[in-house]
Amino acid sequence: MSYVTLNYPFEPLEAPPEYRGRPRIDPKLCVGCGACSRVCPSDAIIVEDNYRDGLRRIKLDISRCIRCACCEEACPTGAIKLTREFELASPRKEDFTQIFELRLVKCSICGKPSDYTVRQVEKAKQILSHLPKEEVDEIIKRITVCRECRRKKTIRTTFESIPILGLIRA
Amino acid sequence: MKWTIDRVIEIIKAKFGKYIKDMYRPMANQVIIVMDKSAAPKATLFLLKEAGVPEPQLSTVVGTDERPIRGMFSIIYWVSVNAEGGDAWIGIKTYLHEDDLKIESITPLHPGANWYEREIRDLLGIIPVNHPDPRRLVLPDDFPKNIYPLRKEYDYRSKPTVTPRHVFKRPAEGTVIVPFGPYHAACDEPYHFRLYVKGEEIVDADYRGFYNHRGIEKLAESRLTYNQIPFIAERICGICGFVHSTAYCQAVENAMGIDVPERARYIRTIMLEIERIESHLLWIGIACHLAGFDTGFMHAWRIREKDMWLAERLTGNRKTYGLNVIGGVRRDILEYRKSLALNTLSELKREYKEFVDMLSSTKSFIKRCEGVGVLPYNKAVAYSTTGPTARGSGRRIDVRKDHPYAAYGELDFKVPVYKDGDVLARAMVRIDEVWESIWIIEQALDKLPGGPLRAEIKRIEPYREALSYDEAPRGENVHYVMLGRGNKVYRWKVRAPTYNNLPAVPEMLKGYTIADAPLIIASIDPCFSCTERVLVIDVRTGEKKAYTEREFNYLSIRKSRR
Repeated sequence: MSYVTLNYPFEPLEAPPEYRGRPRIDPKLCVGCGACSRVCPSDAIIVEDNYRDGLRRIKLDISRCIRCACCEEACPTGAIKLTREFELASPRKEDFTQIFELRLVKCSICGKPSDYTVRQVEKAKQILSHLPKEEVDEIIKRITVCRECRRKKTIRTTFESIPILGLIRA
Repeated sequence: MKWTIDRVIEIIKAKFGKYIKDMYRPMANQVIIVMDKSAAPKATLFLLKEAGVPEPQLSTVVGTDERPIRGMFSIIYWVSVNAEGGDAWIGIKTYLHEDDLKIESITPLHPGANWYEREIRDLLGIIPVNHPDPRRLVLPDDFPKNIYPLRKEYDYRSKPTVTPRHVFKRPAEGTVIVPFGPYHAACDEPYHFRLYVKGEEIVDADYRGFYNHRGIEKLAESRLTYNQIPFIAERICGICGFVHSTAYCQAVENAMGIDVPERARYIRTIMLEIERIESHLLWIGIACHLAGFDTGFMHAWRIREKDMWLAERLTGNRKTYGLNVIGGVRRDILEYRKSLALNTLSELKREYKEFVDMLSSTKSFIKRCEGVGVLPYNKAVAYSTTGPTARGSGRRIDVRKDHPYAAYGELDFKVPVYKDGDVLARAMVRIDEVWESIWIIEQALDKLPGGPLRAEIKRIEPYREALSYDEAPRGENVHYVMLGRGNKVYRWKVRAPTYNNLPAVPEMLKGYTIADAPLIIASIDPCFSCTERVLVIDVRTGEKKAYTEREFNYLSIRKSRR
């Protein structure tokens, strides 16, 4: 290398291909499983469910991010990637966050929003595609239950599994 | 005859047999001997002074609030056997009841224990009896009395109310005080040295630091999980971060009894050495700058840039590699990166040779360093100094050689030792070490074995403890971990190398001039963030004797007019 000083910032500077820069989520690919938020050591990704509107909100806060790329390793669909961007200074707070929302699937019993996104269910179907369709539908139906219905269901099955308890109820 | 761990245990048994209550071996080369409170300090001093162990070193002193487990506090004095005399770490542990938190101080006989005992007094409230320095070390002086942050009942979010106050040593008759820091052109980080001078000559010095105290240990105990800590450990230091994350991961692996795959150990070694080159070149640059040789500074940093670039290509970032996890590493060194590394290293070698030739023929630099800031061998031993500071004073200690970890046991390298003890000796140790580091990386890349990168972790047994150690660019870096429940460590104690080296600086300063002070202080390559961890509170000390900025400016102007 013969140069002494680069003409940066008047000329763009490219980071090497291995560089871990600002992470970005591709909202088209994200299924909203929340794996990234579980592995993130600095809590930069926060996943919140809004049952009233039936939406899951995914919030990526760049200012908390430490560029460890744990999220990239955990992501099952390759939606979150560390880019090679490193010039992040900005006067606007919004530039440091990426927020988007995904629709939650409806409970198969009561119709209220449950704990999974529509895309998560699609992804599950994709993974289970080697099984016959009826079986898959049965599994999905059993899983997509909201918290309240699940609680009720658990109590009911417990009662049914112990005959004595069934008698008390009768 | 080698000093094996069994031999050391025999010696202690012969002398202190009746005081020993329990003994267990967390690792093949580590032993924890539980002793009576009255005997533990004596046994530690015996090992350090009389036992005849080669280059004994008080590596760390760990105080733990074990009340939730055993209803008592505990102290472990970790003494290591060095100088290739045998691979042994002896932990002398004693339990203290809450009603009687007093233990005999070992500082009067071994000044290297000064800071450890003050830290334990500040953070846990265990009082070292007959300690010569009653002042605080870690906690700010305005922190309320009788609140001990490392006790388990103290919540990591609490912020006690404070009243400012700090007392410095009284100056001797006819001396003038020159405050140096917390913010000074020659300080990279906030620290405060008080130089007591007669004319130009420094007669005494005092240190007040821990302005960078961030409470990482408390945070790790109360808030973080096992897998989050490597990332915060990496951020203990801005220069030798990888050393800390490696030491933490090794400590947990040792405590859990996990065998790290060979390839992961080699990759760790390579990155540790890349970091050492980077750190040493940085230091050489700074030393040149402080000696008024700015051309050398620029050249050193230009060469360093190659190493930084290599680190970026290998791990994805110039610093904070984010590579370590418990059980191994996260990223592999692929074939194309291997050739990249070798090419860069050969370039670096060529340029570094030119640079060293130039530096050693620059009289102004050599003259500034030669015979300045001498730390004699016996003082180096008394303060338990480590790393290039110790090796510059003729101590033959290097954790890589004495207690092989990662892949160092399988690689060939030399440990440069100089006996002069001055700034030049410390500089020469570092200059030589860069060559050794390059050689280690070349070997490791050549030998790099195949296999997995991570070991599987099955179960975490709570309350097992282990020590881990590695050679940071600045010296021996020791981490102690006690595993805990609920995916959290119970106690994680970090002892960075500067913690041992910094107390020796006042010794180095005595008898030299103010103009040499920045160079002497920098010659140990101090890393204040490393040294200062444990607490969260901001320091706002009201310094009664310090000059105000105006007074100081006035004095310096008057002085330079003469």
